[in-house]
Amino acid sequence: MNHSRTKIINAPLNRVEGDLEIRVRLEDDRISEAWSVGVMFRGIENMLKNRGALDGLVVTPRICGICSTAHLTAAAKALDAISGAKVPANAIIVRNLALMAEHVQSDMRHGFLMYTADFVNSAYRERSLYDEAVKRYEPFKGKTVIDVIKHTKEILEMVAIFGGQWPHSSYMVPGGIASNPNMNDIMQCKYLIDKFASWYEKRILGCSIQRWLTVQNNEDLDTWLDESESHHNSELGFYIRYARDIGLDKIGQGHSNFISFGQLDLPESSKVMGRSRNSNLLIPAGFVRNTEIEPFDQKKIFEHVAFSWYADDNGGKHPFSGETHPYATGEESEKYSWTKAPRYDGTPAETGPLAEMIISGHPLFTDLVNTIGASAFVRELARLTRPAELIPAMKQWIMELDPQEKFYTHSPNITDGEGFGLTQASRGALGHWVSISDKKIAHYQIITPTAWNGSPRDADSIRGPWEEALINTPVKDSENPVEIGHVVRSFDPCLVCAVHAIQGKKENIWKI
Amino acid sequence: MENIENECKKKIICVGNRFKPEDSAGPMVYDQLVNNRLSGDIEVIDGGLAGLNLLRFIHGADRIVFIDAVNGFKTFNGLIVLNAEDASKHADTIFGHSAGIAYCLRVLPEVHDGKLPEIFVVGIEGATDPDKILKANEISLKIATHGYSLN
Repeated sequence: MNHSRTKIINAPLNRVEGDLEIRVRLEDDRISEAWSVGVMFRGIENMLKNRGALDGLVVTPRICGICSTAHLTAAAKALDAISGAKVPANAIIVRNLALMAEHVQSDMRHGFLMYTADFVNSAYRERSLYDEAVKRYEPFKGKTVIDVIKHTKEILEMVAIFGGQWPHSSYMVPGGIASNPNMNDIMQCKYLIDKFASWYEKRILGCSIQRWLTVQNNEDLDTWLDESESHHNSELGFYIRYARDIGLDKIGQGHSNFISFGQLDLPESSKVMGRSRNSNLLIPAGFVRNTEIEPFDQKKIFEHVAFSWYADDNGGKHPFSGETHPYATGEESEKYSWTKAPRYDGTPAETGPLAEMIISGHPLFTDLVNTIGASAFVRELARLTRPAELIPAMKQWIMELDPQEKFYTHSPNITDGEGFGLTQASRGALGHWVSISDKKIAHYQIITPTAWNGSPRDADSIRGPWEEALINTPVKDSENPVEIGHVVRSFDPCLVCAVHAIQGKKENIWKI
Repeated sequence: MENIENECKKKIICVGNRFKPEDSAGPMVYDQLVNNRLSGDIEVIDGGLAGLNLLRFIHGADRIVFIDAVNGFKTFNGLIVLNAEDASKHADTIFGHSAGIAYCLRVLPEVHDGKLPEIFVVGIEGATDPDKILKANEISLKIATHGYSLN
């Protein structure tokens, strides 16, 4: 006789861009099955067909208000590839700095406005650190919430200074950028970087970036935490203590496969170097399966639609041949999401800051994943400390800009051909695959980070990364399943990019 | 180089996604406004999907008019005017990627340096039509120029 208690719950997740529903089966208060449901259709790729060859530079930054620069970067790189344009060092640096500004802002806002918002859930009212969590993270007035908003609102001005237009800038063009920043512009951006860096060190880390970068393993992390009051009570220090206290280091492991498309091209003769000496990128591309880092090859990417509301080959197609044909008759028994299921070499993979750290060979995160696993705690820790990886390079690159040198190399007209632009958005691997025919867009496919992380099952019925990460997660109260939020939000979901879709509850609609 | 933003004391900020019909009212008004001959002290901004980053536009203005699509309001001919306090009451409890004007206005008093500008929101409810867009254009200009009393 089976005495297990089984229950299905639907958890609509707010605080993501676009709508996401997580459906789970609970058995004896643990998640035994999970389905990630992207609930809206968009169709940006179809909208791009037959438009001018350069239109991806204008349309795709408007896919998402958070990842605008990442989409522009991918679109520009795809056109660089098609046109054969050689991008000068100055333009590479400006492109990099804009993307990095987007990252450091996004990392702080996700961490302290969205992720830690769950730390003040009533489920934790009895925890000893709860009152301090409320002081820091209470919506609209927690001291951390307000401080993060204040100190992240300026850094993206770099995009306006470099691009001459913001938001949804289109200044990256094949061959470079469409502006000529002068020394005054460069100095303004340097000021913004220095100001953000100073705040990040003082308030978030409680130490210098150099000190933080000496933390090489889990043991070092504990030493760092107890080393001083400023570490212990910094935002990072409190995050570590609270997240461990509520058990985030024990949930959300997932497949432990990781993918990074790589980002931030290293210009020739730059003094900036990545952790991986074998890459021409600051953050290298790669794929990790069973802790082994494999070289990345975009030809191994296939998108499956067996469980997605699209009509196509269920077994998966490379994005150069995949289509976006919505197919939802309401009678399908298996299909359950508007998100496709990207797979690398037939395997699901999670992407984001943690994947970047692992593929870069970062000693702390390699050790954490090898010793305690890729938990919700570790995933968010990677996001909160990614600025420490980026800021030193930002400081160096801004000084390497030379306004006397060119920011654009004339590139031939876009002729027929195909190309791809790969980068890392703030929440992970982003790719645009583009075919041009008769000077028009014949084909455009976009694979976003949340398509990787929030994918439904593939043709082999293998769960997507956060579906897998939810398995075995204990849920203490099915009426308040805060644990689901911890796990899924540790991937920083952004559904408006991921689904090929129009969102339901929108940015600017207030319902009363 | 003079800072143009600081010279402009009145701003009209149009918010929304021009590629989504139900959210395109703000950009449609923007397209009309940029073709108007505006008074030199009014700056018109395409706020797009800037979300919380709309905060950077608030600096340096005495009066700001946001234009955005709204849903669920009792409007007059499809339009409604709210002040900052009323608009901020509609913020979601917690920040998300989709945080918009309401969230910005809710946190604004805590994060703004200096004197707060006078802020209004012109909401456009339901399907957009040329008359409604034109009316929103006219109202936003009037409010930007002269202010507005909700009493």
